[in-house]
Amino acid sequence: MKTWSDVSEVQPLASKILMNSIRKGRISHAYLLQGERGTGKEAIALLLAKGLFCTNKSDVEPCGVCNMCRRIESRNHPDVHWLEPDGQSIKIEQIKNLQKEFTYSGLESNRKVYIIKAADTLTLNAANRILKFLEEPSKQTTAIMLTENSQSIISTIRSRCQVIDLQPLNPTSFKRQLMDAGLQQQDAVLMSALTNNVDDAIAWSTDAWFAEGRKLVVQLVEMFVHKPEDVFLFIHQHWIPHFKERSQQEQGLDLLLLAFKDILYAHLGSGEDTAMLHMPAEQLNQLVMFYSQQKLITILHELLQAKRNLKQNVHATLVMEQLTLQIQR
Amino acid sequence: MKFIIQRDTLISSVQDVMKAVSPRTAIPILTGIKLVAKQHGITLTGSDSDISIESYIPAESDGIVYVEDIEEGSIVLQARYFPDIIRKLPEKTVEIHVDDQLKVTIRSGNAEYNLNGLDAEEYPQLPQVNTDDSFDMPIDLLKGMIKQTVFAVSTMETRPILTGVNISLENGELHFTATDSHRLASRKLPISSTSLSFSNIVVPGKSLNELNKILNDNEETVEISVTNNQILFRTKHLNFLSRLLDGTYPETSRLIPEQSKTTIKAHTKNLIHTIDRASLLAREESGNIVRLATKGGELLEITSNSPEIGQVTEDLNVHAIDGEELKISFNSKYMLDALRAIDAEDVRIEFTGAMRPFIIRPENGEAILQLILPVRTY
Repeated sequence: MKTWSDVSEVQPLASKILMNSIRKGRISHAYLLQGERGTGKEAIALLLAKGLFCTNKSDVEPCGVCNMCRRIESRNHPDVHWLEPDGQSIKIEQIKNLQKEFTYSGLESNRKVYIIKAADTLTLNAANRILKFLEEPSKQTTAIMLTENSQSIISTIRSRCQVIDLQPLNPTSFKRQLMDAGLQQQDAVLMSALTNNVDDAIAWSTDAWFAEGRKLVVQLVEMFVHKPEDVFLFIHQHWIPHFKERSQQEQGLDLLLLAFKDILYAHLGSGEDTAMLHMPAEQLNQLVMFYSQQKLITILHELLQAKRNLKQNVHATLVMEQLTLQIQR
Repeated sequence: MKFIIQRDTLISSVQDVMKAVSPRTAIPILTGIKLVAKQHGITLTGSDSDISIESYIPAESDGIVYVEDIEEGSIVLQARYFPDIIRKLPEKTVEIHVDDQLKVTIRSGNAEYNLNGLDAEEYPQLPQVNTDDSFDMPIDLLKGMIKQTVFAVSTMETRPILTGVNISLENGELHFTATDSHRLASRKLPISSTSLSFSNIVVPGKSLNELNKILNDNEETVEISVTNNQILFRTKHLNFLSRLLDGTYPETSRLIPEQSKTTIKAHTKNLIHTIDRASLLAREESGNIVRLATKGGELLEITSNSPEIGQVTEDLNVHAIDGEELKISFNSKYMLDALRAIDAEDVRIEFTGAMRPFIIRPENGEAILQLILPVRTY
């Protein structure tokens, strides 16, 4: 997404709001862009910044080739500041640097833009420090905050920003995009459930580790039915050694979640393509018979709880053990 | 781009601009040094975005050739490696060659380095300052003015504007003011050669300290120009740019009392030594409090007292005490800073009561003014 017209295909409403305010010279002092991963938050932030600095604009579109645009793109523009989480959250040190930056005049002109990625990872203290600058912006300063998790933004920040909601991507169009890129139908369904990022999806679909992980998930689901006494062993011998890193563990739980969702959908007969469980109808029926709807809903709750536990640094082995116990109850 | 340059000249230029380069910077391109080759010479630039230093090496000056074989162009080189490479090269001359793919070849004698350069287009564009809006002053005077004021800037971030020195030029008088709201240092200097005027230019104290280090003590002059977001100090081969602080500097002229009730004239050195001795027992946590009292005649009593440690009393003969009796307490650190900044044999201190700020000036002259707020003691 390099131009506003590209953006308007994916985000018609957001781009219309922003384009109109650029056209009328009514850029707000702070924006909060909220939308899921892959919805074009960064592309919009870049376009906004370029629009403010570009020397060669045609209507609202920045030219993309002038010195200003190129430097904003490569993040070398001295008056466009990027703030990204360093590890898990945005650190107080980064905020201090930003605060210092506010007190100085710009390097090239007096116009300044700061873009805060993953603004939900601001700690409460850090968020409160930023408040002051959102409250008393100097004339030519624009803040753009990006977040996937709009609920974690404290209300005092939200109330000082113009909130732009980005609509979620259309899963069918994403699926089609993946299939155009050469993925098989069933892979495309799974990937569109997991991510909004085309590159990630394609990388995963060819990844041996990921394929093995999928197999393990399906095995585990069947094991609950056929050999419930061996589930614990399976967890220790196969699951834990395979899903080592934190991100991998989270992905494992995501896959498991999708698998159980498939069973629930089969119950309801929604007719949707299954994302995880590609098996003959008989086999699927067995699973459907085994898990009642009530049971499935409890399991999904437990899975979400397990994901939360993992986020709160509970030990991965314990999370899995507890989860299997709960599922078997 | 290509040129052959005297290594010693290049080393000293690189060292100058390296003072502005910071290894920790959010903007990737600023980890580099920019080189620009023009037919008349080579310009090097280093920056951490707060301050920027440009060093110019003329192709030839006073009949000595520094740079030869120039093909124009520009490049940004990694500051982590470039200075060390130049310093350790074997021969007296260095050849630098850059091709279209931003590959840099540095050759000296039989040693040859191939480095990856960065695109100079990506480097921040420093403002072009035209010389019409500038004025000259001797370097030593500028350094003096910086030393006499910059110590008083605030180190607290709560009022960021006070971390800078306010510079104004009005009616041919250059005026530096710094305050951290407990004390104030001000220095005026007539500048005859200009009709320029500006006010509310606040230069960060950090930048001025850096400038003070970089300027050599010599008889030359420095050219100062101000744009709306940067200030430029230009010497013969060195340009020093600093960003300004954004905001309005508080009005300070009303703080300075017009009349005085008690005036003391004293020998600066003696006064410094006496207060320094008294401050040994003054505790930092409670604000380095030292008391001063007039004792009739030409005698001052300076005391300090911390109940846990002990107390010190010293009588000091001064040149004259006029006006009312006085007992006053103040922070000895502020007092010492102020007295040391006054570059004069004798000082005149004017008090307006124990609860009002007092001012310190050189015995004969109004140019320097140091103002200190007293401390309330019971």
